[in-house]
Amino acid sequence: MARKTIFIDFSKCIECRACEVACEREHNGKSFINVFEWQEMAAMALNCRHCETAPCVEVCPTNALYRDKDGAVILAPQRCIGCLMCGIVCPFGIPELDLINKVMGKCDLCAQRRAEGKEPACAATCPTDALIFGDFDEIQRKRREKFTERAIEVAKKAEKISLLGV
Amino acid sequence: MAEKLVPVVCPYCGVGCRFYIKTVDGYPVGIEYATDIPGISNENGKLCPKGNAAVEYLLAKDRLKKPLKAKEQGKFVEISWSEAIKEVAERLKAYAKDDPNQLMFFGSARTFNEPNYLIQKLARMLGTNNVDHCARLCHAPTVTGLKQVFGAGAMTNTYKDIEEANVIFIIGHNYAETHPVGFRYVLKAKERGAKVIVADPRFTRTAWHADIFLQHYPGSDVALINGLIHVIIKEKLYDPKFVRERCVGFDEVVKAVEKFTPEFVEKVTGVPAELIVEAARTFATAGKGVITWAMGLTQHTHGTENVKLLGTLAAICGYQGKEGAGCSPMRGQNNVQGACDMAALPNVFPGYQAVTSEEKRKFFEEFWGVELSGEVGLTTVEAAYAVDEGKVKAYYVMGENPVISEANANHVMHVLEKLEFMVVQDIVPTPTMEFADIVLPAAAMLENEGSLTNTERRVQWSFQAAKPPGEARPDWWIISEIGKAVGFDKDGSKGFIYNDAADVLREINACTPQYRGITPERLKANLAGIHWPCPSPDHPGTRVLYKERFLTPDGKAHLAAVPEYKGPVELPDEEYPFLLTTYRYVGMYHTLTMTARSDALNKRWPEPLAEIHPDDAAKLGIKTGDWIKIETRRGVYPIKVKVTRTIKKGVVGVPWHWAANVLTNDALDPVAKIPETKACACRVAKISEEEAKKLMEKLPSIVPRIEVVKG
Ligand code: SF4
Ligand code: SF4
Ligand code: SF4
Repeated sequence: MARKTIFIDFSKCIECRACEVACEREHNGKSFINVFEWQEMAAMALNCRHCETAPCVEVCPTNALYRDKDGAVILAPQRCIGCLMCGIVCPFGIPELDLINKVMGKCDLCAQRRAEGKEPACAATCPTDALIFGDFDEIQRKRREKFTERAIEVAKKAEKISLLGV
Repeated sequence: MAEKLVPVVCPYCGVGCRFYIKTVDGYPVGIEYATDIPGISNENGKLCPKGNAAVEYLLAKDRLKKPLKAKEQGKFVEISWSEAIKEVAERLKAYAKDDPNQLMFFGSARTFNEPNYLIQKLARMLGTNNVDHCARLCHAPTVTGLKQVFGAGAMTNTYKDIEEANVIFIIGHNYAETHPVGFRYVLKAKERGAKVIVADPRFTRTAWHADIFLQHYPGSDVALINGLIHVIIKEKLYDPKFVRERCVGFDEVVKAVEKFTPEFVEKVTGVPAELIVEAARTFATAGKGVITWAMGLTQHTHGTENVKLLGTLAAICGYQGKEGAGCSPMRGQNNVQGACDMAALPNVFPGYQAVTSEEKRKFFEEFWGVELSGEVGLTTVEAAYAVDEGKVKAYYVMGENPVISEANANHVMHVLEKLEFMVVQDIVPTPTMEFADIVLPAAAMLENEGSLTNTERRVQWSFQAAKPPGEARPDWWIISEIGKAVGFDKDGSKGFIYNDAADVLREINACTPQYRGITPERLKANLAGIHWPCPSPDHPGTRVLYKERFLTPDGKAHLAAVPEYKGPVELPDEEYPFLLTTYRYVGMYHTLTMTARSDALNKRWPEPLAEIHPDDAAKLGIKTGDWIKIETRRGVYPIKVKVTRTIKKGVVGVPWHWAANVLTNDALDPVAKIPETKACACRVAKISEEEAKKLMEKLPSIVPRIEVVKG
């Protein structure tokens, strides 16, 4: 099965934080996506990348982190001992310690919603499509297509101009 | 457990997004995205943070549950509905008997079409045209300006046309933050290769996406737009066929813009001349273009002129009457358009039929079965000054919060104190309510059903998703009960006997030409709604206006010549050296009555911050996080600072949600009667936190000081 995840297009994010509010609503008041602002204007939403070779899964001593059938990296809280290893090895600092239960928490790619055949909440809500839930190969293919489309358009325009002899 | 998904319209902005409210046994527990309704305004069910948090305010602890009567200012006792209605009806009747123009009614852009229709019907049947609502404070110039140019004041196209445009000119409007889901269509156009031009004194989230960014001074729009028209005419980039066949007044425009050379405009607006030329060329040569604007453009003493110039700019480029083109004023609240259509306005009957027209008045006299006044009523700001003069004595305020929303809030509070009688009908306590004599608890929009009209003239039905708390009642029910108690208890359109909101809509169908075919049955069956005008039940609705002719008497666009440059009435001087402007946050909404009752939103947008340019900040010796007080000729306002290069030098920007209107100017545009909320002179000084706290006590409180006492 093709591995699906959430792709982030920084150039489109308007820092509306709808993704945060949506995630928070789906996960009992805790958001697993964070929107950052830097240089006064640039904004960027960041959630778990569900990495291909996920360091968090590899280091977890209790196997509390595992992959579900869609390839999402999931945390089983009943097995988590709060040793923080996953948080330390994650290049994006994604797993966070839940201070009350002393176990880690992280984006589960909205397991419940996926079970019902729905998109993860953050991608479903993002007004600008800065977040897209999809298959890696397919997204890459679409980007290539778009690029060729533009190239063809430019070529056509150039042709017209040379026909006119300008 | 019976789980249900109820299709509703978002209770917030004018995009009018649809979503589902998830309920368990009638109790709202969450939302779901409307990905299965084709053709709605929020494609694929997209929602901004406010839409995502919509259930929270319904569950606010301080929802009003019983009618209240004031014992003294801010102190209330609970009363029964029958007592409340009787008292309100009797007081209204007494004033009407004496002189109906002592009464002033406020409709609401946050509630359905039906209650807005009813409140103006009540006002007019009582004998006065004193009825208005907050559209006065946002898009009144749009209505008056576009009417003069094109013959009607609504958006001339739809979101689909924004998506299909080749150039989009966004002015006085932080589209990305004010209407995030609407901005989606701008980005989709851009992805297709469309160019985006943004004019704003702040480098906003919207400007971030601009191909050309024109950072002009607040209030210098007339010069900027005239400058663009100047270049387009000079370089012959306009559409000569469209101008010849469908417009009048072109020669006057040519003359009027003569002196607005890019060099002159650069001096007045602060925008480099080359950029003005580039923007004009990009706009005029795109083939299909859309102009969008909102309050940054309208809230000026020359708001009407601004809008007329934009209409003229669109028309000379031929960007009217075709797909992918047009003028798109963006409405702030989900039913601003509807409240205007329903005539919660002092000068027209439903469907923009002038109260001064003998023929229209005859129709409504027959329809409602009473004699009607042909004298244009008072607008919101005018009413406030009429209270000062003792002419207006009683307000009926439905779902509005003038203490926060009106310019020069200190004057507004003084006026409300002076009133003899005020009824406030709302869902939660508001600062305005502190001054009320009677408080009527209303059901929130989502606890209620009815039709709403979004910014693109799309009328949609929203269904009841939850039960109202306590004894709160739908707005239409409250007004119809008062109507009957006043004595209008005849059957049909001549009285106030209704079974439900659909009944009211049927009456609207009968007297509002644009809505004739928009029946409750059709709306309930077609969730994507219908764009007015829709003249008959088999008409599909209208996407693009003015395909053949404009609505002016001669069918032509009347181009506007504005030869005089007018800036804001109050310009910086030695005493008040800065120019103040206001804006909003994406996660906060207007006067905060709803969004401040959502934890998710409150924690992300907890407080206002004043934006100041680093050079100005250095001069004043302030840095991010410091407290300052901003002072204008009307008031003082304490606020924390955010030093940022995104604002123009010499300008101070504040979000207005937290009562910043104590500062703003209520000088009026002579035509639209909108106050100049967007630009005035101010001074800034650093203060201590203690002083800030002290000053804050004098501001209208967001969480109002309302107390319910025993009997
Ligand atoms: S919802 Fe989309 S646009 Fe909004 S903050 Fe999140 S990623 Fe950015
Ligand atoms: S996929 Fe779901 S859990 Fe992960 S960040 Fe998005 S909303 Fe949150
Ligand atoms: S864009 Fe407007 S209508 Fe849509 S969800 Fe946000 S506030 Fe509601």
